[in-house]
Parts: sequence; structure tokens; C-alpha cells
Amino acid sequence: MPTYGIIYAVSKTAKVSGSVVAGFPSPAEQYQEPPLDLNELLVKRPAATYFVRVEGDSMIGAGISDGDLLVVDRSLRPVDGDVIIASVDGDFTVKTYRRDKSGVRLEPANPNYPVIRLRAGQELDYFGKVTACIHRFAGKQ
Amino acid sequence: MIGLVDGNNFFVSCERVFNRRLVGRPVAVLSNNDGCCVSRSNEFKALGIPMGTPYFQLKQREASGELCFCSSNYELYGDMSRRIISILREEAVDVEQYSIDEAFIFPPTTAAADYAAYGRRVRAKILRWVGIPCGVGFAPTKTLAKIANHIGKKRPDGVFLMPDDPTEILAALPVQEVWGVGRRLPLKLRAERILTAQHLRDAPDATIRSIGGVTLLRTAMELRGIPCHEERDYDADPDSISCSRSFGEPATTAEALAESLAAYTAQAAAKLRRHGLLAAGCNIYAQVFASGGGGDFLGRTVVFPAPTDATNEMLRAIREEIDALYIEGTRYRKTGIVFFGLEKPGTAHQTDLFDDTPPAEKSRLYAAVDALNARYGKGKVFSARHSLTLGLARSNREPRLRGGYAQGLGARSWHMKRQKLSRRPTTRWDELMTVR
Repeated sequence: MPTYGIIYAVSKTAKVSGSVVAGFPSPAEQYQEPPLDLNELLVKRPAATYFVRVEGDSMIGAGISDGDLLVVDRSLRPVDGDVIIASVDGDFTVKTYRRDKSGVRLEPANPNYPVIRLRAGQELDYFGKVTACIHRFAGKQ
Repeated sequence: MIGLVDGNNFFVSCERVFNRRLVGRPVAVLSNNDGCCVSRSNEFKALGIPMGTPYFQLKQREASGELCFCSSNYELYGDMSRRIISILREEAVDVEQYSIDEAFIFPPTTAAADYAAYGRRVRAKILRWVGIPCGVGFAPTKTLAKIANHIGKKRPDGVFLMPDDPTEILAALPVQEVWGVGRRLPLKLRAERILTAQHLRDAPDATIRSIGGVTLLRTAMELRGIPCHEERDYDADPDSISCSRSFGEPATTAEALAESLAAYTAQAAAKLRRHGLLAAGCNIYAQVFASGGGGDFLGRTVVFPAPTDATNEMLRAIREEIDALYIEGTRYRKTGIVFFGLEKPGTAHQTDLFDDTPPAEKSRLYAAVDALNARYGKGKVFSARHSLTLGLARSNREPRLRGGYAQGLGARSWHMKRQKLSRRPTTRWDELMTVR
């Protein structure tokens, strides 16, 4: 009778429990799979991924609220329309990256906030691209 | 070909990734307990303030807004270091982490056509993914790669490939700056008219051996382009305290991981004591086995409650983290430990008026523990320590020592002062970077 090894996916954070039983392998073993792991879904490149916390409502129209957790990937170059993290005058901000003939600008998703335009010769201090937003609801967790 | 990659002004560079106000300013990161400058930005160096300058001498210039300081944020540096290592692992056939900010890499054969281009690509990737600028040097041996790295760091593209005939470079390099030569040897070398790296390379073997034994001869061989440094063979160099080994057969149990890491911790801690150093913390890692070389690195950063050279204190701090490296069903290729925040005890430590237990004294106690261990049983670290505690308690002949010992573990234990500590945005949920 052939024996079947159990292959677990290697995740940076998750610990897979389970044990290898000696003797006859259980018929269920060949169907065994690791449990779903949010890291696998949300973090494509762990070495380039950072989590940041949102303060304020400048991006409320894009579904990003005060207190939300953003997943940021530094390895991705920004393209027009991306939600990105950049530093403006020393402070980090989350905005929509816009680039066209008139230059680069950072757009809020809230009419109460101004559009940030880069001055002539000013380079964008880009941190990374926002790839996901994690919003937790009020009440017991 | 061997490459050496290291982060420029690594601690300062890590701080700058998450604090953009520090960019372009004179910044220094302070040693354990905010003692002295251990990492300086280029702007800080340009002011002529040397490495190791005590912080208290510079406080005025900080208050006036001229200089910026950060406490050592080892949690952050350790995480950034792990990110860099994992990128190198993707880009190279093998990686040997040498210290928190340095690693040797073995480039894939595909890189042979143009090592400089390969180096620039790896450097650009680390800069983009992690935000840390690195220097990269390539050479046939580790000792020469170190030299190439120093040259690379000063070049605009950050990369340098050692030429086939490095004579010109070695002739311009003072011998004491060669990796592994150390600070005591130059006098003896000078007596033999060995003043540059070139002199050392070309000196007769017998002369070299008589001055610095096999270790120095090995260095000379490396300068000749003959690789002599095997993995983790860095015993003479106190700049890096690290230990790692590949398993003979891939390891599959949590016990094997724990045992190997405990053994390396003990070895590395012994080396710390030999050099009279304390460590603020360490990175532990395990590499997953993959046919053909580089598998995934799983790592954890451990910051000790206080800088220490005591194996037991380290093991206590590391033990829980070892579990995090183990995933059932995974085969492991190697494990390792790299210490960071290395300092001589008693230099900048005794700043807490309410603590009467100088670390130096604690160290003496642990040194005694080690001596007992060595005499009465190898590897019986825990039991030996316990019996020593009991012995002291019974005899009561050394109340000061005993008091110090108890305090080292008790509520009034000596904690590292980090008053200018930045957030730990990659390891603590409650200290994330905020964006508006």
C-alpha cells in the first residue's frame, strides 16, 4: 500500500497543527489541506509588505475610513488611479495617485480636502501602493 | 564569486523609512541605554562627529535643533534585516547572514556575465522593497568581497566588482583595515614592514604565520584570491557574533530546531564573553529545505530585557520564539542566530541611579557559572545555574553577588533605557505607522 506524505504550505505566520500518524494512513489524509490563511490572500510579497493605520476621513469616498488598516506593497510602482501612500512635507498620506500631462497630483476622496499637486521639480516621495483595506466593524470582536 | 551586501548607515536608514523628516538631516542612532552614537547619517558624519561620541556631549546641539537622535529600535532593525535577507534569498543561490546589516551572497551562474549589473538589480530591489540603500561588492573571496563592498558603498551606483588584479587597490589599503587582521596585530606587522593589504598578500607564509598564526595566513590567502573562510568561520571578528549550521539531513522536528538553536546560542554567547561584549538582542532564523539551495527563511527578532552575555537569559527570551519558526511537516535546511547591539559593559550603561547592579558584575557572575559548567558538565547550563543559586543562598558568603543575581531577575531588574525610541511599525499592531 502506498503511503502519502502530507504537504503543508509554508506560511510566514501560520502554524499548522496536525500530526502524522504511524501505520496505515487515513484515507482522509490525501484530501487534507491547510486552512485558509489571510496572509496568503492579502500579502503576496511579505518582504515588501507593510501595514499602516488610517487617521481621518480624507479617503472616505474610496471606502477608506478612520481607523482602517491598510496593506501596502512597496514593490509595486504607482500607476494612474492607484491608491498609494506617500510622504508630503514629512507626513505620510493616503491618496489616489494621478499622473497626466499636467504632472503628478494626489487626490483625496473627500471634497473637504484639497488636491495635492507636486511643485515643479519636486519628486514624489512614494512609500507604496495600497493593495487592501481592512475595515473592522464596531462592537464586540 | 562571492558578494557582500550591507546596509548603508543601517540603523539610521531604517529610521528614515518610517520618519521622512529625518531625510537629509544629521541623524544618529544611539547605543543601548542611549549611551553613544552607533550609526550616523552621512550628514552627521560630515559634521565630523565620530562614531562612539557620548550622547550627553551632544544634547545641547540636539536642543538647538541641529542634530537628531533615535534610541536603538532593534525590533525595527531586526525586521528590516529579515526582509533584506529574504530578498537576497530570492536573488542568490545561497545567503550567509553575517551581522544584522551584512550578508554574503553566492550569485547564480546567470549573474556571471555581468556581476555589476546583477548587483545593481539586487540593490535596486532592496531599495524599493525595503527602503534601505545598500553597498554591494563582488570578489572571489570573502575578505576581498569586504574590500569591494567598501569601495562599492562610495560609488554612486553602490556596486563594485573587484578587478582580476586587485594589486592597486590592496596597495592603497592600510593592513589594519583588512577584515580579520584586528587591532593588536599592526604593531607586529609594522615591524615586518607589512603596512598595506598588498604587503600582507605578498609576504612569505612563514613570516605571516609567525605574526598571526593560521588565522592571519588564511587572511593572506584570501587576499591572494584563494577562498579560506568557510561558513560561519568568523571567530576572530568581534564585529559579528553569529552562528549557523546546515543540518546533515533536513530536520523535521521542533526538537531538532530548538536543540540546534540552543547550541548555537550557547556557542555565540561564549564568544560574546570571550570578547567581553553584551548583546541587546538577536535574530533567530530557520531556512526551509529546498532542492537546489535557497529555501524560505523564517525568522524572529528577540530583544533581551537588558543587554546580556548570559546564555540562560538568552535562551529564556528565545525559547518561545523558536516555536514560531516551526511548521509541522516542513523540512529545514539550517538554523542560525545573529546577535546585534554589541557593546562593552560598563561603557555607557550605568546611567540609572536607582540600579545598583552594574551589568559588568552580572557578567562576572555568569562567567563564573560558565566556568562551573565547563568543569562539571558540558551543556548542563540550566541545572548548573540552579545549583549555583542554591549554593550561594546556603553559604551566604557573597551577599552582594547574590543580591545582584536576584535583582537581575526580579522586579527591579536593569532595563535598557530607550527614551528616544521610535515606533515599532512592523512588529507591533499598536505602533503602526499612521497615514492621513
